[in-house]
Amino acid sequence: MRRRLREKGNAFVIPAIFWVLTFTIFPLVYSFRVSLSKVLYGKLVGFAGASNYLRMFGDYRFWGTLRFTLVLVLISVCATTAIGLGLAIVFNRKMKGLRAFRSILTMPLFTAPVALGYLGVMMFYEENGPINVLLKYLGMGKVPWLSHPLWATLAICLVDIWQWTPFAFIILLAGLQSISDEIYEAAVIDTSSGWAVFRHITLPLLSPVLGTVIMLRMVDAFKAFDIPFSLTSGGPGTATRTLTFYIYTQGLRNFDLGYASAMAYFLLAITMIIGLLFFRRYRELYE
Amino acid sequence: MEWRKSLVFLVSVIFVLGFVFGALAQEGASELEIQTANAAFEAADKGNPDPAWKGQKLTIAVYSAGPRGAISGPLYFWRPYFEKLTGATYDIVEIPFGELREKIFTDLMTGTGTYDIIVGPSWFYGDYIMNDWIVPAQEFFNDPRMPKWEPESIALPVRELYMWGDKLVGFNNDHDGQVIYYRRDILSDPKWQEEFKKEKGKDMPTPPWTWEEVYEICDFFNGKDWNGDGEPDYGISMHLKVGGQGFFHFMALSAPYVVSPAPGDNPAKVTRYHNVYWFDPETMEPLVNTPGFVEALNMLIKLSKTGPSAMFGWSLGEAWDAFLRGKAVMCWSWGDVGSLAQLPDRSSIQGKLGVAPIPGSDKYYDLETQQWVHKKNFVANTVGASWHGVISKYCKNKELAAYFLSWQATPQINHWNVVWGWTGVDPGTSYDFLQPSGKATIEEYVATGYDAEDARQFVTAYEEMWTKYPLRQTYLRIPGTPEMWEVYDIHLSEAVTGQVSPEEALNRIAEEWKAIVERYGKDTLKKIYQEAIGYKPE
Repeated sequence: MRRRLREKGNAFVIPAIFWVLTFTIFPLVYSFRVSLSKVLYGKLVGFAGASNYLRMFGDYRFWGTLRFTLVLVLISVCATTAIGLGLAIVFNRKMKGLRAFRSILTMPLFTAPVALGYLGVMMFYEENGPINVLLKYLGMGKVPWLSHPLWATLAICLVDIWQWTPFAFIILLAGLQSISDEIYEAAVIDTSSGWAVFRHITLPLLSPVLGTVIMLRMVDAFKAFDIPFSLTSGGPGTATRTLTFYIYTQGLRNFDLGYASAMAYFLLAITMIIGLLFFRRYRELYE
Repeated sequence: MEWRKSLVFLVSVIFVLGFVFGALAQEGASELEIQTANAAFEAADKGNPDPAWKGQKLTIAVYSAGPRGAISGPLYFWRPYFEKLTGATYDIVEIPFGELREKIFTDLMTGTGTYDIIVGPSWFYGDYIMNDWIVPAQEFFNDPRMPKWEPESIALPVRELYMWGDKLVGFNNDHDGQVIYYRRDILSDPKWQEEFKKEKGKDMPTPPWTWEEVYEICDFFNGKDWNGDGEPDYGISMHLKVGGQGFFHFMALSAPYVVSPAPGDNPAKVTRYHNVYWFDPETMEPLVNTPGFVEALNMLIKLSKTGPSAMFGWSLGEAWDAFLRGKAVMCWSWGDVGSLAQLPDRSSIQGKLGVAPIPGSDKYYDLETQQWVHKKNFVANTVGASWHGVISKYCKNKELAAYFLSWQATPQINHWNVVWGWTGVDPGTSYDFLQPSGKATIEEYVATGYDAEDARQFVTAYEEMWTKYPLRQTYLRIPGTPEMWEVYDIHLSEAVTGQVSPEEALNRIAEEWKAIVERYGKDTLKKIYQEAIGYKPE
């Protein structure tokens, strides 16, 4: 009886296994095969061995895009988390119009990144765009937002931060609200310093949520594509081209799928390492 | 009952929407447009449409610009006429410029056959031909069902883009090439001429015939308030954003520095060293880092300093606008500028437009002797897309597709598209060029809103470049061309924004092109390249 039930139970798992095999394992295995192949016009025309992987090391464009991606990850993740945390602390109290503020603050999160990129084109337009006009009123010079490599990098980061800060804000606010008031009340007896309360109470209790936010943001920032694609097309030159943008160009525009797959595996490895490091740290902290 | 009411309402909404979208083709069309289109429709040859085509449907892939936009616009406009003519219809699939290659090539590579007709750029030809993806127009040319069109009316350099060897492959539509546009009123103003002479010590060359002269004029006007709006204005306007088609500027500018005439009776003959631009046709070594290109890139950088720095982030629309709004004294671009200058909602320069064929250079680099030759050199170009239709080999009704494209290629319909500038179809046939050498009259252009002198200069500049210039720049039509141009685009942007030196940028292009050539197979590409440029090994 028990055996029959177990068999019946196993049958229920089959669709899930089929799903995972079809949509995760098969593409993963196939793309690995592609990464070891020479591909022309989407057809595998020969075995390439490790040459697609080795090509990455000699490709300065690959290193350039990786460098920009790391800069974007660093700036965007730090800024979104810091601003998101600041806003969460500010809004973690009873105040008039709180709901409206929260809704307004979260709006960029629900906008398609590509739309924000095109909006950025207008905002950062160098000849009489709103931002440069504002800077002009403040007595500052015209900023070459989209035509200078450094400013273009900053423009991409700003749009990315604008979009993703609400994400950090929502999660961290939920985290703050889950901390019991009693703990704060007890802490206030020991110290009157707000910073000490934050340092010794809020931060440690919030750290699992903070870690999750940072990890999710990092993984997401490594995959950034839409904003650079729509805002700068990766330029000037390749100054704002992310790794995913480069993979897309090589794979889907140039149909060099072997090389694109090899780079995609590299990216997968990076994101997996980040995930593993975070999970290991969690285990150390909570087990 | 309620659900029935809802259903009726839903069906009604669908009908209304269908009607609205169906009418989009004519939406915004003026009375005059409709009248002249009706006349063109009546006058154009209609062949003998096959009754079996009734009720059939084609799918056309085209660059995305909307129902009143360049290249896609005419497809919407002429659809009701086509339906009336054949009883068949077509769907229009608009694809953004940056996604054309992936969408179209994926369709062709996989044999899906979503698109029966591709109204695409000429730089797809290498891939089309290598993979045998399209059906040549030649196969339908003598079919009695097809409307008659005139390939011989197309200016020779553009006609070559529609052909492969001696076979007609594409159907006549657009004719791209870059010419130089300038402010006729400003350059001919005695006050500015006098100031120019004072500052530069010589007469202002109007129109400019070499890039040095273009630079001198732009340098002179840049930073001066020559339009009287109280703010400093610019010399040149270009679009140099990666992916913004700015690399075509460099193609047109560099041609006279790079392309050298062949010795002997025929200076236009393609030899290993003469009239070549892209690769050495014997070795497939890129020529892009030869001294001619370096000199040209230095000139581009010099010129870029006579315009707004924002140009490095501009796509073509922004660059055109700067000229059309009267902020830049000069630009070099496609025929669209000539027609857009006549639209009051986009331009403040109607009646002030000067147009001349693309400038030449004071010297060129001879690849054979590896020496600079200090002589003036003029090279016609066909840079751009020359957007036109080809038939996919997976098309389910090739005759119907050929009928549509042949009908659109007839002189009357094609010329109507040319004179109505919003279509993005640029002049390039004898029936677009003015009498007595051509067949068109200035009145045909004036009737659609052109200023007479603007139109005369505009059309004549194209005619002169394509029929009188001694040399022409070959067009790259080999597999991997889009990829090569992307590389070209990126590294030129690096050079103009000062990230690398011109030499380094050009070396990078050469190295990446070599890798692309190797990937596609050097021998295969060499054969196709030789065919594409008309080179015959001796």
